[in-house]
Amino acid sequence: MRLARIRAVAYKEWREILRDRLFFTMAFGVPLLIMLVLGYGLSLDVENIPFAVVDQDRSPLSRDYIHRFSDSRYFDFLGYVERESDLDPLLADSRIRLGLVIPPRFEEQLRGDRPVAVQALIDGMFPFRAQTTKGYLAAINAELNQELLMDWLARTRGLTPERARERVEPVRLEQRYLYNQALKSDWSMASGLIMLVLMVSPPFLTALGVVREKESGSIYNIYASTLSRGEFILGKLLPYVGVSCFNILVMWGVATQLFGAPFKGDLPFFFFASLVYVICTAGIGLLVSILVSTQVAAVLLTMVITFVPAMLYSGLLVPVESMSADAQLQAWLFPPRYYLEITWGSFLKGLGWRDLWPPVAVLGGYAALLWGVGFLSFHKRPKR
Amino acid sequence: MRLWWLRLRVMTVKELLQLSRDPVLLIILVWFFTADIYIAGSGISMDLRHATLAVLDRDQSEASRELIQRFRPPYFRLQGQLDSGRQGIQRLDQGESMLVLEIPPHFERDLEAGESVAVQLQVDTTNTVLGTLASSYAAQIVGRYGADRARDQLGITDAQLAAMPRIEDRHRVWYNPNQTDPWFMSISELMTVITMLSLMLPAAAAVREKERDTIEQLAVSPLTPFQILFPKVIAMTLAILAGTAVALFLILFPIFHVPVKGSLPLFFAVTALYVLAVSGLGLFIATISRNLGQVSMLVIVILMPMLLLSGAWTPPEAMPALLRQLMVISPLYWFIELGYGILLKGAGLDVLWDSVLGLSLLGGLIFGFGIARFRGQFSAG
Repeated sequence: MRLARIRAVAYKEWREILRDRLFFTMAFGVPLLIMLVLGYGLSLDVENIPFAVVDQDRSPLSRDYIHRFSDSRYFDFLGYVERESDLDPLLADSRIRLGLVIPPRFEEQLRGDRPVAVQALIDGMFPFRAQTTKGYLAAINAELNQELLMDWLARTRGLTPERARERVEPVRLEQRYLYNQALKSDWSMASGLIMLVLMVSPPFLTALGVVREKESGSIYNIYASTLSRGEFILGKLLPYVGVSCFNILVMWGVATQLFGAPFKGDLPFFFFASLVYVICTAGIGLLVSILVSTQVAAVLLTMVITFVPAMLYSGLLVPVESMSADAQLQAWLFPPRYYLEITWGSFLKGLGWRDLWPPVAVLGGYAALLWGVGFLSFHKRPKR
Repeated sequence: MRLWWLRLRVMTVKELLQLSRDPVLLIILVWFFTADIYIAGSGISMDLRHATLAVLDRDQSEASRELIQRFRPPYFRLQGQLDSGRQGIQRLDQGESMLVLEIPPHFERDLEAGESVAVQLQVDTTNTVLGTLASSYAAQIVGRYGADRARDQLGITDAQLAAMPRIEDRHRVWYNPNQTDPWFMSISELMTVITMLSLMLPAAAAVREKERDTIEQLAVSPLTPFQILFPKVIAMTLAILAGTAVALFLILFPIFHVPVKGSLPLFFAVTALYVLAVSGLGLFIATISRNLGQVSMLVIVILMPMLLLSGAWTPPEAMPALLRQLMVISPLYWFIELGYGILLKGAGLDVLWDSVLGLSLLGGLIFGFGIARFRGQFSAG
């Protein structure tokens, strides 16, 4: 293991990155672009749900009821249709996600102190959206029912409106949102995206870097040289880890400055943990490069083993606790969930070494394992 | 003209052969259409499940216990009692609990006196989706508890309840009545895989010729640029359609029991149209890059925003207005409407014709542009 040789390989690799203009731009540009596009666009908020109404009553009260939907930011009123059957094609074509059917004599019934059933047709294609829509619907109905009940109590029992309110709602729930008070999904997303980008980009760069030499045959120069396999791997991967380290800084800046995510934790700790994570994900790229011999295969394999775990099994969209047992096992197996714990802990909760050392240790162990296996299965003598 | 067809066919066979000679690539393709879709479809649910809840009960009365008992699985998981508020914060910090419910002293006494009482809930909202859901469910539970108590205290009987102005919520969820997540997740993942491969494979096939300089051979052959490029696209489209069939018949239908409400031939026709459209984008990528490294970077640049902004994983309605309008230029946006429309909603051409038209126009435009650029490169170099 000689430092000079490692430096030479690293320098050669760096020059190669520099000379491939498009690749160079992408290595720095892709992470930034992903961060910007997804940070602004990716949101799991369920808002502006388009809906249409069949109003068979057309009374002031039914219009008032519809206003409760159209005035909220959760719903987007598209208009009236004549018959209930007109809602079907609109739902099938995904033009509306919710259809309301207000029965005839809606106002008359309510004024006459009788219950009225309002039908709602919800598009169940995206279960999460359907569930949330149901929640909003229930909340709007509950609020109206409370008002109706208060009114009824005031009329029949002669209570004052204030007294009626107290009787109708004896228990209030006061909620405090911790760590992300405004429930801003950009805060969580922007910091969470650092995890996604660092899971996808370092393995890509390293896998392509090695497989490119395999496919073009220039790796035989390495096989024939005095360079040891450890020196080759270290020198080869060093520039890519370096590029990714620079990207950590950039993305941290974007998350805090552009998206306004607060950083409450320990900065040196966060950078150290990120470095460990990058070394770990670069190790994934190393393993991929050993398994495959063409660049297409390398790219696709990297996508498979990085993108899906990072998107679905990290806790970014779906929290690990609410996954099924199999899915939780997968979450435990892949590194992203540990790093997401570190990121959200550092950004939003203000935690540091004391609370977050276990995930860092896991990532470190993971990195050691990947690099170890990579080192052992890289051979200078092709088996053939 | 016969010669023209023969050349097209021979080239297509050549592409298919070339594909079949890369065993690792084939294994990866099979993995994509089977295991990957299975993994993404099973076990992921965006509903609140087993949210961990710790309780600080300062009243220890029957009323407080009844309220606590209403936080039940599958939505919540009770973790037991806390001794102090500080312990609650500590548990939240370390992520051991997601919610801490605090019931004030004299809860029962105040309720019986007819006074209004406040209970406190602290919610960890680092994951905003879960935080929002948990807080909305908790509000519903407490609201219902309050309504029940109010009814008891006011002495409202069931008979009186029928003579009260009230709105009954009769909702029906269509297309996926039980909100089975695997239906949505597996179809989304299938569309993701189709998109990724239709971008990557034709682009890779075209650039490989450049990288290995076999493009010179093709350039001196009597083939026109169209005859060189189109077979690549046909071959990859065939491979992707075969993969889609495998995914549908081996994973989606038997394992996840995804219902097919519409016509399968229509679904395959639409898929073919979509693959062609996206391949055009792939060919365009191939024209501006010199090697596969560049291709894959560009693929990611195009793929990521396309996937995440077209509604494959997130509800598209909530996006900023500008981005929502931009989505129209994403072929995936149309494909999602069509795919779900045909498979889950049973919509036919009579309803979906506008999306098919949109996808065809967009596809024709992209594909034409991709081929034209490649042709330009051919004559120039």
